[in-house]
Amino acid sequence: MNKRSITGILAGLFVIAGAVSAGAADKPLLLKNGNILTISGGTIQGGDILIRDGKIAAVGQSLALPAGAETIDLQGQWVMPGIIDSHSHIAAEGDLNEMGDLMTPEVDIKDVLNPEDINIWYALTGGVTSVHTMHGSANPIGGRGIVLKLRWGVKSEELIFAGAPLTVKWALGENPKRSNMQGPGPAHYPQSRMGVEASIRNEFELARDYMRRWDEYNNKTKELGPAKKPGAVLPFPPRKDFRLEVVADILRGKYLIRCHAYQAEEMLSIMRLCREYGVKLVCFEHGLEGYRITNELVANGVANSTFVDFWAYKWEALQTMPHSAALMAKRGVLVALSSDNAERMRRLFNDAAKTVRFGGLSELEALKTITINPAKILGIDKWVGTIEAGKDADLAVFNRHPLDPFTVCEKTLVDGKVYFDRAKVLDDRKKAEDEKKKKETEAKKPKEKSNGGEV
Amino acid sequence: MKRATILGILLIAAAGLAAAEPAAVLIKNATLYPVTGPAVPGGDILIENGKITAIGKGLQAPAGAEVMDATGLSVYPGFIDGFTHFGLAEIGAIPSTVDYLETGKENPELKVAWAINPASIHFGTGRVTGTTAALVTPAGGTFPGMSALVKMDGWTFPEMQVKEIATGLINFPMTPRPPKEGAAVQQESKADVTSKLVDKIKDYLKEARRYLEVKNLSAKDPKVAAPAPNPKYEALAPVLNGTLPVIISVEKAKDIELAIKFVKDEKLKAIFRGCAQGFQVAGKIKQAGIPVIIDSLYTGPSEPEDGYDAPFRNVVELARAGVMLCFSTGDDPAQGKDLPHHAAKAVAFGLDREEAIKALTINAARIFGVDGRLGSLEPGKDADLFLATGDPLDFKTEVKVMFINGRKIDMANWWEDLYKKWKARPIK
Repeated sequence: MNKRSITGILAGLFVIAGAVSAGAADKPLLLKNGNILTISGGTIQGGDILIRDGKIAAVGQSLALPAGAETIDLQGQWVMPGIIDSHSHIAAEGDLNEMGDLMTPEVDIKDVLNPEDINIWYALTGGVTSVHTMHGSANPIGGRGIVLKLRWGVKSEELIFAGAPLTVKWALGENPKRSNMQGPGPAHYPQSRMGVEASIRNEFELARDYMRRWDEYNNKTKELGPAKKPGAVLPFPPRKDFRLEVVADILRGKYLIRCHAYQAEEMLSIMRLCREYGVKLVCFEHGLEGYRITNELVANGVANSTFVDFWAYKWEALQTMPHSAALMAKRGVLVALSSDNAERMRRLFNDAAKTVRFGGLSELEALKTITINPAKILGIDKWVGTIEAGKDADLAVFNRHPLDPFTVCEKTLVDGKVYFDRAKVLDDRKKAEDEKKKKETEAKKPKEKSNGGEV
Repeated sequence: MKRATILGILLIAAAGLAAAEPAAVLIKNATLYPVTGPAVPGGDILIENGKITAIGKGLQAPAGAEVMDATGLSVYPGFIDGFTHFGLAEIGAIPSTVDYLETGKENPELKVAWAINPASIHFGTGRVTGTTAALVTPAGGTFPGMSALVKMDGWTFPEMQVKEIATGLINFPMTPRPPKEGAAVQQESKADVTSKLVDKIKDYLKEARRYLEVKNLSAKDPKVAAPAPNPKYEALAPVLNGTLPVIISVEKAKDIELAIKFVKDEKLKAIFRGCAQGFQVAGKIKQAGIPVIIDSLYTGPSEPEDGYDAPFRNVVELARAGVMLCFSTGDDPAQGKDLPHHAAKAVAFGLDREEAIKALTINAARIFGVDGRLGSLEPGKDADLFLATGDPLDFKTEVKVMFINGRKIDMANWWEDLYKKWKARPIK
């Protein structure tokens, strides 16, 4: 119910947003003569993409130019699906950790979106079109996250990816234990991985009890019916608990669970716990030891949103290697490379190239880790992640193959609209510099003397 | 107990030292990139007693030499990482494994030579993309201490060292970004806090000069009382007389200009590090003849106004102005393997590829005054080189063989050991 009402509101907002930010979407747009990495259907050399109403209308060679369409000649540049970052913290206010309590699923990133975060722009310059902005990892069951489209320059509600399933962040290990926090403070539970798991189990039990009390209440009121007997005593409703409402929805399977974890054994433990309670775990975050438990990840259908080579920054991030992502992917785990960081977000295509060197992924599989794989994890693969007719026109254009070491992102489109254009940035920069020089030379010129009586 | 386990595990990941060392190795049929000369396709390179002794085509193997067929491989001089904490940090979040940061503002007497751990796991993983030498620096305060230039391999620090004391270090004050626009900002910029902080550094150097002068006088003239010993001022002597280069970490354009004046006033032999806004004053840096160590390019712009591509464009503009450059991986030795990837990023945004290779090799050697030994494939130089499957700036290229001081390096490392073990787990 919760989820449906939110998406309902969002759908309403999108009608307004579409009207405001469409611009180019009114006219069809034809991207001509690109090398198109479709991801789902091979590479089309010298291909075209026709975009209509923000969607990909057609992909192929020598597409006809519809009447009134705008054209961009890509001159052999490379086009790939817009990059999707399935683990990020941009476009939100604050440090995104509710430290005040152990369990905090009642808090929601949606409430603190910041459309003016410059990192949205920086992400676009690296070909990123969608991000999953998440709560931090201080809590075993933390806050709710949201999937965004990087429509730079719109209002916060217009950033939201319509229809994307809602997510909840969980966290295991050193962060919920707060192992690396310095200084004095009140004693904190949990201090151990045992405590982290026990706290989640306890929360599930509380939620089950909460659900039972509401079921009893609802059944009782139903029994009394609309035409209740005179003198019948109405039951008191249980106290509304916004935290347990979310945990109950977790047990009902209404959220995609994204679980921050590092060590293989804590991942195995939480998968057992989830099986016991019938909770579907979607993806481990970071999961740097995931390569050790590929059999179990595959058997449980749990994905991994990981780094290629960010490691050794804390104890639980030591037992890993840059081959991990490739090894997992080759053994059937759904793997996404994610940033967790506004800077790394700009070079996820470079990270993907590293999986070819370390662990020997094919170039196609490497590109999947930043496109269709994160789209599947986020449940948005029917709209984005590949270049196919009918999908959203979220695209990244590179001057060379995106896995080439010298590649540069040239253009980024969201819903068929160009939000980043390197040529335009350079052009604007040159104009500003020329303007500045002109002003400086004018300031240096000696002022003309007054010529007599004229005013 | 936890700490003991950590140490135990880290010690197992020892340096990749080769067991046997033949007196001579002849690498045949490779494409040689000497850096200081044109590429030699189908070339040979002879290594004897740790040095390169010959380069050319059709070289004869001396008696007892190991002959290595390198058909299809490219040979480059080993890369030099211009600013790192290799050997001084294992895991950032565990203070007991971090050794580059001392408390206090003025610690010029500290030497990383006392603390470098040759068995750090990051030497092994840092070598996989071709790095054979690195400047290891301390951090923190205004005068963090003295850096050392080391080879990425060796049983002990003295066996690794190229220079026990390579440079001094000064962290230059940074002009803060005005928190708000408007009148308050105007006032703040008039106050010029940065210049006042620079004056404090100058005062400290003045004290040191006076101390050294009095000490010098007292040695010559028994009537002059010797000052109480001060190891901090003593340590600064080679910096103050301009014989030891000093790395000045500086970021903003305005601060770079102040630093250029500071270097001139104090008559220092300076190397700048960082210079994120160097592109705004590139001509002035060139004019001052100060080389620049580029910091890790895994960063955003210094100021949003600089443009999204400022870190990369900065390298291009500095090179265009003729500033001598080298690259570095910066604060995290765990990211040391990415040295050539920083160079690649600069190439992507317009740096000439050959210039990038020079910055990784001969220019770094020149900046640290070791170009007689390192930085190119030339007879007489240290045999620090690697054999790669392709362009070493490419993510996909693999370094197959590496020599440091003529020793063949075991390329096994923390990652390769894990990979070997875990890819053997049966698939169910």
